[in-house]
Amino acid sequence: MAFVNFQNVTYKYPLTKTPVLKNINLQVNEGEFIAVMGPNGAGKSTLCYALAGFVPHFFKGEISGEIEVDGKKSSESTLDEWVLNVGLAFQNPFNQISGAKYTVFEEIAFGLENIGVPRNEMKDRVDEAMALTGIRDLADRSPYSLSGGQQQRVALTSILVMRPRLLVLDEPTSQMDPIGTREVFGVVRKMAEEGMTVVMVEHKVEWIAHFADRVIALNEGQVLMEGKPNEVLTADLLPEKGFGISRYTSVARQAQQQGLWKQKQLPVTLFEAAEGFTSKGGGGSN
Amino acid sequence: MPERLSFHIKRDSALHHLNPLTKLLLVLTLILTAFLAPFYWTPHILAVLFIPLLSMLGKVGREYFSTAIRLILPAATFLFAMQAFFQPVGEEIIFEFYFLDITRESFLFAFSNAMRIVVMVSAFTIFLLTTHPSELMSDLTRRGLPGQFAYVIISTLQILPQMQAKAQTIISAQRSRGLETEGGFFKRAGALVPLIGPLVFGSLVEVEERAIAIEARGFTSKHVKTSLHEIPDTSTDKLLRWFLTALILASIGLRIWLS
Amino acid sequence: MFNKIKGNFNTQTWVLIPIAIAINIAVGQIVVLLKLPVYLDSIGTVLVAVLCGPWAGALTGALTNIIWGLAIDPNALPWWPVAFFIGYMAGRMAQWGFFKSWWKVAVTGFVVALTAAVVSTPIAVYIYGGITASGSSFITAYLLQTGQGIWQAVFSTGFLVEPVDKITTAMIAFAIILGLPKRTVGGYPKPEQVEVEGGSKNELYIALGVVVLLILIAAFVLRGILGG
Repeated sequence: MAFVNFQNVTYKYPLTKTPVLKNINLQVNEGEFIAVMGPNGAGKSTLCYALAGFVPHFFKGEISGEIEVDGKKSSESTLDEWVLNVGLAFQNPFNQISGAKYTVFEEIAFGLENIGVPRNEMKDRVDEAMALTGIRDLADRSPYSLSGGQQQRVALTSILVMRPRLLVLDEPTSQMDPIGTREVFGVVRKMAEEGMTVVMVEHKVEWIAHFADRVIALNEGQVLMEGKPNEVLTADLLPEKGFGISRYTSVARQAQQQGLWKQKQLPVTLFEAAEGFTSKGGGGSN
Repeated sequence: MPERLSFHIKRDSALHHLNPLTKLLLVLTLILTAFLAPFYWTPHILAVLFIPLLSMLGKVGREYFSTAIRLILPAATFLFAMQAFFQPVGEEIIFEFYFLDITRESFLFAFSNAMRIVVMVSAFTIFLLTTHPSELMSDLTRRGLPGQFAYVIISTLQILPQMQAKAQTIISAQRSRGLETEGGFFKRAGALVPLIGPLVFGSLVEVEERAIAIEARGFTSKHVKTSLHEIPDTSTDKLLRWFLTALILASIGLRIWLS
Repeated sequence: MFNKIKGNFNTQTWVLIPIAIAINIAVGQIVVLLKLPVYLDSIGTVLVAVLCGPWAGALTGALTNIIWGLAIDPNALPWWPVAFFIGYMAGRMAQWGFFKSWWKVAVTGFVVALTAAVVSTPIAVYIYGGITASGSSFITAYLLQTGQGIWQAVFSTGFLVEPVDKITTAMIAFAIILGLPKRTVGGYPKPEQVEVEGGSKNELYIALGVVVLLILIAAFVLRGILGG
């Protein structure tokens, strides 16, 4: 049985007419790193809220179908129990600062205080989490004095420190430079290898291709495609539906039409593109 | 832009080391004594002698005096003038200025009342200078204050300077677009909407996401909360609190007995 | 009772309260800057009261004055009970259905103003001897000179000053709620209290008419007093 299990989940926000999630079926195994992508309005954030229990517990609205994480049913659980298992970090870093704390160290400890972790253990866990995401040097700064990218790292650390079994991330690197993005993907990959299950909404396709185990393409509240990153990210269907795709894929697709790209598989990253263009063989480079 | 709204000065003094609750009780004792003690000179002695000494004990004398001169004295002087002129008590006029006059009684009343206000504000000022807000909140939470109150107080102290800075930005932006913030009454009243609108809506729309963010971190958890910082509460603190409670009871008792 | 109080507070309430306090203080300061003859320092309090309930409103009001008093202007501190009852009364009025149309909101403002006048009188008398640090004390002083008793003089001052301010406050709060996305409103404990009924433009004009009338009456009474 999969760690995360969505069965025919359909959801409508209160006071709205059309459902945002339509008949979603989704299975994620423990320790898997799933990337979710889709155009605006595809229902990505709602999917995240559903995983993290906020749909329907916080937003209310109408839900049908069943959401299960780690064998527990969302419909039979309360939000405060659910968040102990499932961590959520989202896009806007400023709104994720609790406001109740004066330093980054205290900010990261906020969640642990709330769930009653003893003081000594708390300090160790905060230290460890900060080391993991590389923000130890920010410990004594005010969370409000940080840049957007730094705040996003603090938000991620504040969730990681709670050691959720399932980590849900909604565009956690939107305000980061390439170096920061790379580090965050590295951390998330590492967590997945240690057994944490990760679902991450992300636009940065090259990073997805490099790090994720599986990609889910969401469109108009439905799962359009799912599979290995390179299969999904290079599918002809994506650009037609308005998904952002890698520029290397676009270039190679054009080259393919001109007969210049001879591999079976289209590339997503610069590395794959370079390799595909330079190797002469007709066999796939992947 | 100020990052936070806090008077707290980090120093190493006897007052800084006291438990926040002890200091809070000290403030309360000072205020109650100033208002309740039946002797006319009590608030004056507290304001002129005791409180300055207390500020020096807390090694925040310089900060206290600068606050006193900038904020407390002007407010007290204004209150004194209003009351001295307008209290309709007493017969013996000691000062006249056109149709305004001060009687001996109104002068004495206004003076002691101003001193009471000085004591009240000064006591709180010293408390705030020597106590970090999060220290106070951690301690009160440990003693049973619901954690949500700590959240409300600290986040207000952090949001307020941001909101004030935002208000400043909006005012100057609207002025540069030709909005009249001077001029006739209706012009100024009309200026209110474009000033308040952007200030209010932005922060109200954020509420939902901020609520989600703290719930994701166990804000509504039913576990007993723990605290990162340990706030010292020594036997000296406990002794001092008994003593202060006795003082409060004594001044209330004296007041009832003598009146 | 305890459960009723608890029903005022969900996570959105706790997040809204600090913002409401900051709105109270920041708008209060803008109004001083514009030299307008009102305070408008309870808009946030009324917002919390009608969206979350009377106890949440009362808490917001009291905390506004305590924080304002401790951090900015000491003279705000003794008035916290007034702010407490402004929040409480606004919440009760909303519960009774008086926050659903412009004229009802104006009525709420008027009731809140009376509450404020009543609660502030003993504070002004006992702590300040009737003459406070506020500009409206010139009216009290004048009334005292004309031979009125101190309680009467202080209460009359409150009755003259408060209605214009509180009706305007309530109407601004209503305008803000009308401008908020429905989904945002839905997350608070009492969204049904602000479901707009009727909603014709005429009502707004009637309500504004009521306010203008009140201002005129206040001005007339004031002139009568000062002229006499």
